[in-house]
Amino acid sequence: MKKDILLTVPSYFRDDMNVMGYRFGKGEKSCVVLGALRGDEIQQLYVCARLVAYLREVEREGGIMPGKSVMVVPTVIGFSMNTGNRLWAPENMDINRRFPGDLQGETSERITGALFDRLKAYKYGVQLTSFYQPGSFIPHVRVMDTGRQNPELGCEFGLPYVYVRTPRNADLSTLNYTWQLAGTCAYSLYAGKTREIDENAAEQTLRAIIRFLNGRGIIRSDMTPGHSVTVISDADMISVSAGTAGLLRRVKFAGAHVRRGEQLAFVINPLDGAVKEVLKTPLTGTLFFVQDGPFITEHSPVFQVLGNTKA
Amino acid sequence: MAIIREITTVASVAMPVAEAWRVKRCRYASEGTSAGRLCIATGIHGDEMMGQLVVFGVARRIMAQPEHLHGIVDIYPMLNPLGLDCGSRMVPSTAQLDMNRAFPGRPDGTALESVCWRVLEDMRGADLVLDIHASTQNKSELYEVRMNTPHAEELIRQARALCPELIWVYPDNNLYSGSLTGTLVELGTSALILEADERHRRPHEIAERVVEGIMCKMKDMGLWTGDCALTVPRDEDIPCIRTEEEICVITCEAPGVYVPLDHIGKRVEEGELLGMVIDALEGSVREEVHAPASGLVFSQRSYSAVYPGTLIARVKKEVQA
Repeated sequence: MKKDILLTVPSYFRDDMNVMGYRFGKGEKSCVVLGALRGDEIQQLYVCARLVAYLREVEREGGIMPGKSVMVVPTVIGFSMNTGNRLWAPENMDINRRFPGDLQGETSERITGALFDRLKAYKYGVQLTSFYQPGSFIPHVRVMDTGRQNPELGCEFGLPYVYVRTPRNADLSTLNYTWQLAGTCAYSLYAGKTREIDENAAEQTLRAIIRFLNGRGIIRSDMTPGHSVTVISDADMISVSAGTAGLLRRVKFAGAHVRRGEQLAFVINPLDGAVKEVLKTPLTGTLFFVQDGPFITEHSPVFQVLGNTKA
Repeated sequence: MAIIREITTVASVAMPVAEAWRVKRCRYASEGTSAGRLCIATGIHGDEMMGQLVVFGVARRIMAQPEHLHGIVDIYPMLNPLGLDCGSRMVPSTAQLDMNRAFPGRPDGTALESVCWRVLEDMRGADLVLDIHASTQNKSELYEVRMNTPHAEELIRQARALCPELIWVYPDNNLYSGSLTGTLVELGTSALILEADERHRRPHEIAERVVEGIMCKMKDMGLWTGDCALTVPRDEDIPCIRTEEEICVITCEAPGVYVPLDHIGKRVEEGELLGMVIDALEGSVREEVHAPASGLVFSQRSYSAVYPGTLIARVKKEVQA
């Protein structure tokens, strides 16, 4: 294992911020795994720390394939992690909206510019990302629909679904989108929680990455087989949103099979306990996403149901 | 002639505990024929307060001479009321999303997307939309009108009557995708960003300058025949940045505490000292920052902590004859 400093942000009041990359093997830049791009992505950091420890053992046993290399970047803005900020605090900027960056630009652009220079050289890119909707998903891989996506390869992670997502305006300066445009096969992996550690989800994500590295011939390591995989898109899902606001009491959770008309959750008046709304599924299928906060705001999607939307 | 003054809620999303996120609009409309409709929005970033004073000033001017209004002026003072209440640029939530990157939104989307969609639908079709912003943390700006590259020449023509100290055409890159004005322009509605300094010691003076500019624009549109201290300037009287080559972005290279000299709104010579980065621990100057080109300083970093890459100033370069 080689420890590289990918970039340094010198600081006046604090220690310098070094962004570290952990490299295994030599030769082709085969795959890079990136953990936390935001200061609150603790689970993503944890999965990467576990992956570095795992790959260290694989390397010791001679399991990194000749001519292949893999790099793990556990976190990019350690400064924000230490102060409890999701964003790059000096500029109040989301680092994942600053790609591809600019080496001569402002600090956040220099960070993403220097990072992206290192990341874009890799054939496969895996990002452990948090999603802007807080909630639980069925484990899945996400691919941005840029016209250059390769969802079939995403099946090698062995998670139940590969979700090809139509990008919105705000996605055009994200790592995943920019990576694909630069020629890297980019995937975002659902890693479970964000601000806390979820051991089961971490284990599952770790296994998925190792399965992919095995499948791509980058490492050789025993691993359990993955799920049979279905490639899905926005057209395969229907959103169930709250028509009112209040406390949210769920009775169904991510992964549950539900039949049309079945009750999914209750929106409760937070002051008098009255049921304001009963959320029901409009189609038979599987709950792909469940909002998991205690509160719900009007119009917010609470569930995404995966099923035959054309029926 | 009387005018109609009507406050309407154009978007409303119920919050969990006995509150709603409401985007309110105050409409000032003359009776009879209308020369058009102007929308003035502000407060999309909750840490930018200057727009409150500006729209307050415009409303006072209309109410003082209501008979001189000949159309519709819609004022949206608080697009992000929760952010304004907390002084937060983003919409306060676990995800901390930037409302000005969430347009056009969706009617059946999240709370934020649904608010954005309704705001956009309410503004669409106006003759002009102005979105008032203020300098972000630790930065001073001139009174500027900004716009995206598509349709820039038409928008520059429209911007002139606002009498800004500078017009700046943004490069067409993805950093500004999803903004209110960018989305409106894509949909065929003219829209401009107004930027005004907020860190000034006398905010009412800055606001008054912007208010006068808006009244001049209203006069130019035929919406206003009342008092107006300004006349539409000539093209050559307003510095205009059309391409990236005309702008010099100056950043520092050393971390420390930046101590500026006051150059905002002034011409600097190439090589002139803009400020310095100091080290209080060692009692030393880490970096002197100089102007790499002669021109007008229109953005300036204030006294604050800096990193390598922190924006120190922007200079509109002088074009060589």
